[in-house]
Amino acid sequence: MKSATGAKGQSLKTFLNGVWRDHPIFSMILGICSALAVSNKVENAIAMGAGVTFVLLATGLLIAMLRRLIPTRVRMITYMIVIATFVIVVDRVLKALFPDISQAIGPYVGLIITNCIIMGRAEAFYIQNRIGQSLIDAVANGFGYTYTLVSVAVVRELLGFGTILGFQVMPEGFTKWVVMAMAPGAFFVLAIFIWIGRSLAGMEEE
Amino acid sequence: MKDKILMIVFVLVLGSILTAALVAVNYLTTPVIEKNEEIAIKSSILKALSISFEPDEVEETFSNNVERRQQNGTTYYVAEDGDIAFPYSGSGLWGPIEGVIAIQPNFETLEGITISRQEETPGLGSRITEAEYLAQFEGKRFTEGLKLVQPGRSSADNEVDSITGATMTTDAFVKILNENLRETVPAIAEGETQ
Repeated sequence: MKSATGAKGQSLKTFLNGVWRDHPIFSMILGICSALAVSNKVENAIAMGAGVTFVLLATGLLIAMLRRLIPTRVRMITYMIVIATFVIVVDRVLKALFPDISQAIGPYVGLIITNCIIMGRAEAFYIQNRIGQSLIDAVANGFGYTYTLVSVAVVRELLGFGTILGFQVMPEGFTKWVVMAMAPGAFFVLAIFIWIGRSLAGMEEE
Repeated sequence: MKDKILMIVFVLVLGSILTAALVAVNYLTTPVIEKNEEIAIKSSILKALSISFEPDEVEETFSNNVERRQQNGTTYYVAEDGDIAFPYSGSGLWGPIEGVIAIQPNFETLEGITISRQEETPGLGSRITEAEYLAQFEGKRFTEGLKLVQPGRSSADNEVDSITGATMTTDAFVKILNENLRETVPAIAEGETQ
């Protein structure tokens, strides 16, 4: 057993790693597919972020709980079925409670299954760590993913639609940047974000 | 050998537990999802028939104002003032376009059009869903087929404007409307004159 302060320090480190140092998008360039696809509107970005965070939490909990039981050779299959189960849960709940959002991001919810962030965290962290640490890691990574998605979405929705969360922000007669609403806009904005994030963190290509 | 058996047992047990959880979630959510879909269809029909309604009173407004009828496997909806609505579908530029067409009781002019599903380019093709664009269809004669003209050039009573930057989508959209009108309206007319 570690001392209390040691455990606290460990938790803080785990959290900071997730939201900044090992940030899934800036640092590891994982989960880009969905980040590009659903960052056209803030509402969609929040829903997607919440979905991914929930799946991360549930997967982290279950994998960390079962980590001593999971046979090494079938661990990948185990991650897959666990993740797939929770993604289907998210999809059904969205459809039942938020039909409009589900309509907008529908196909991409299913793609959470192949979101490398979740697979990556399961293999890198949850399989080796205790439940508490795994949950902190899940929250941190989910938060890291969500805030990136939302920041990209704020820029894209503002320039592409002239709105934020559906409220008109830009003045009447503002020319919408169609490119921002489409996939190429996501590439531009996300690339700029990764550039800024990496420069701030002092990360360099090796 | 023991390892292998344990491995299979583990996967089977975990798989069964998770499947059971999914069955439960499915059981709980299916009625809500079906209800949502029904409300979406009904509000689309109400919009096409230009019947105003409160978002949480769709069911009530619908059952008070609209009657569902059937003719040779074609389902359509008749409003109190005689306007008739029916669902349409077809392929747009990038994906399916679905919605509801409403026609006036003379079987010659359009009453309204709604789009409930489309996957066109955001900001370009998807502008066909804008109320201003769809409003121009009201009162158009469709018996000769709707005709697409350049933006702002529509003058005859069967001409509709296209959208700048979305020629392919508007072209596909008008084709879908013409096809559905041609196929469905005669069937409904037959049912109504009986």
